[in-house]
Amino acid sequence: MKKPLAYFLIAAVCLAPLSAFPVNAKKAPESRADLITMQDALLAAIPKAQAATVCIDLDDGSGSGVIVSEDGLVMTAAHVSTGVGKDVTVIMADGTKLKAETLGLDSETDAALIQITEKLPEGKPFPAVEINKTDDTKLGDWIFSLGHSGGFDKERGAVSRIGRLVRVANTTLQTDGALIGGDSGGPLFDMDGRLIGIHSRVGTVVGQNMHVPVKVFTDNWDRMLKSEFIGEGPFVKKPEIGKGFLGLATKTAKGGIEVTKLGKKSPAEEAGIKEGDLIRTLNGEKLDSREKLQSILAELAAGDKITFEITRDGKDETINLKLGER
Amino acid sequence: MAFVVPAFTQQSLETNFRTTGAAVTAVFEPQRAVIQLSSAVIYNGRNEIAYGTVISADGYVLTKASEVEGVGKIDVRVDKELFKDAKVVMTDTRWDVALLKIDATDLTPVVFAPDSKLPRGTWVVVNGVTSRTNRRVMAGIISADNREILPEGGAVLGVTLKETKKGLAVEEVSKDSGAEKSGLKKGDIITTIDGKPVKEVAALGKLLSKMKSGSDVKVAILRDGKKDELDVKLSARGDIFREATRNDEMSGNFSNRRSGFPRVIQHDILGASITMGGPVLDLEGRAVGMNIARANRAETFAIPVEELRELAEGMIKQVVK
Repeated sequence: MKKPLAYFLIAAVCLAPLSAFPVNAKKAPESRADLITMQDALLAAIPKAQAATVCIDLDDGSGSGVIVSEDGLVMTAAHVSTGVGKDVTVIMADGTKLKAETLGLDSETDAALIQITEKLPEGKPFPAVEINKTDDTKLGDWIFSLGHSGGFDKERGAVSRIGRLVRVANTTLQTDGALIGGDSGGPLFDMDGRLIGIHSRVGTVVGQNMHVPVKVFTDNWDRMLKSEFIGEGPFVKKPEIGKGFLGLATKTAKGGIEVTKLGKKSPAEEAGIKEGDLIRTLNGEKLDSREKLQSILAELAAGDKITFEITRDGKDETINLKLGER
Repeated sequence: MAFVVPAFTQQSLETNFRTTGAAVTAVFEPQRAVIQLSSAVIYNGRNEIAYGTVISADGYVLTKASEVEGVGKIDVRVDKELFKDAKVVMTDTRWDVALLKIDATDLTPVVFAPDSKLPRGTWVVVNGVTSRTNRRVMAGIISADNREILPEGGAVLGVTLKETKKGLAVEEVSKDSGAEKSGLKKGDIITTIDGKPVKEVAALGKLLSKMKSGSDVKVAILRDGKKDELDVKLSARGDIFREATRNDEMSGNFSNRRSGFPRVIQHDILGASITMGGPVLDLEGRAVGMNIARANRAETFAIPVEELRELAEGMIKQVVK
């Protein structure tokens, strides 16, 4: 009984490095039949890929991303998500805008995850693409890219482009398709429509694009899911400890500290804190003086979530907010 | 079997085997043969200024109007032959298309594809690089849904205005704008547009926002107290008052006129702006469109075959009449 099993394993090992896509075995397409094979593969793969390619709307521009799970997990570039725990808007192919929150990121390789926090109507599953976890992509493979080039355009849709893998390194894939600003964070696919990378940056020359291979994501998957900020840049600057911004002035009072002034549009004001509120605790720690508040804030950074327990007009309340950037 | 590719050593694909490389484009020889005969090369002296699409055996060629406009002497090469002194016999500003006539008798016009209903991922082939004897091709795919490209930033006359007691006074006339071509001058007072009175800049902008670049408006003016009326062709704001975005800065050589088209197909082949005007072929070698604008480093627009065919037939009919 052992023999057939051994045979099977050998066969699997021999086949594994060969891509399932036949034209990739040739140095270049050789015939019309090869071109039709490529075209058929694209026609079959693009609609699904397009449905999962989202635009990530930021305050000062936009990037792209791709949904990889039916509950709305999005892979994108770290320089698109720009931080951990940020609120962003994700725009689906049909223009539906959904709230989302940035999870962890790897600031050294430009990888990031975003979770869509709103549901689709009727709780429908999100359109998701398959991640190619086999690590079988190789130099010269044909690929296609999607992305919301230059921003979201419903009439146009995500733009699709063909190309080849022209450089393969440990944390970077390079392709020769046509990418531009707004494509950042968008998906790179093999000809079977499996995700192999995320668009990171373009060169000064047209047709020179760098992508983060999916392996960088899968290697750091759990840490990113746990909203960890990995690395020290250069794609995202780590929020500095002590630079978290709250935007209120207080004075020490009986049983806590009293809010005397609020910054316009500050995180404190936006969270609903009012002048005269008595803040009793911060993250469960008793605030008996202004200095105590400052010493806790000194340990926190922009984007960190905090919880206040307050008393207003004799009633106790809990307020959650996220520190801004000073 | 030497299939092991260690992922940690950086390797690079030879230029020849890249998407636009000769080893890859060789497979498009049947389409190249069509390009050789039916894609024209437009010159001003020794400079290539555009490509063109041969639409009749007796020497009618379509090209991108804004690339040949105001060019003194136009020569056209089809296949290996150079035809001197082509005439611009007609232009259609809405589509930015010019009809050229060369002194030829047995050219091979493009064969039009039945329609431009091409899903994303469909192969398309265009004229890439050219020499005196040879055309080379570049191939790519349909990238987006066919659609209208609105004038970038809306339609404009191409003037800056000042609100005065007498009315809207022209302060400056932008170069190459419809206003300049119509003869509108500094100091003219604009009183009505298509018969509608305009007294404020905002009202004029609102009126024009509903119009398309390339269309004509009747502008009534007062010049030195005398009434006059001018036909002004509207331009896209983005083409006249250009503010380069970061995407523009990294897009290299894009077309000057790249917006305000009634409908386009979009593909991912990146030719320089001087390669606009040539036919876009499908794998059957039929024209599915004509390149009309390189919009940026990721997007190229072409006139879809339905409208291209109408333009070709309509323009020839009007000229021959």
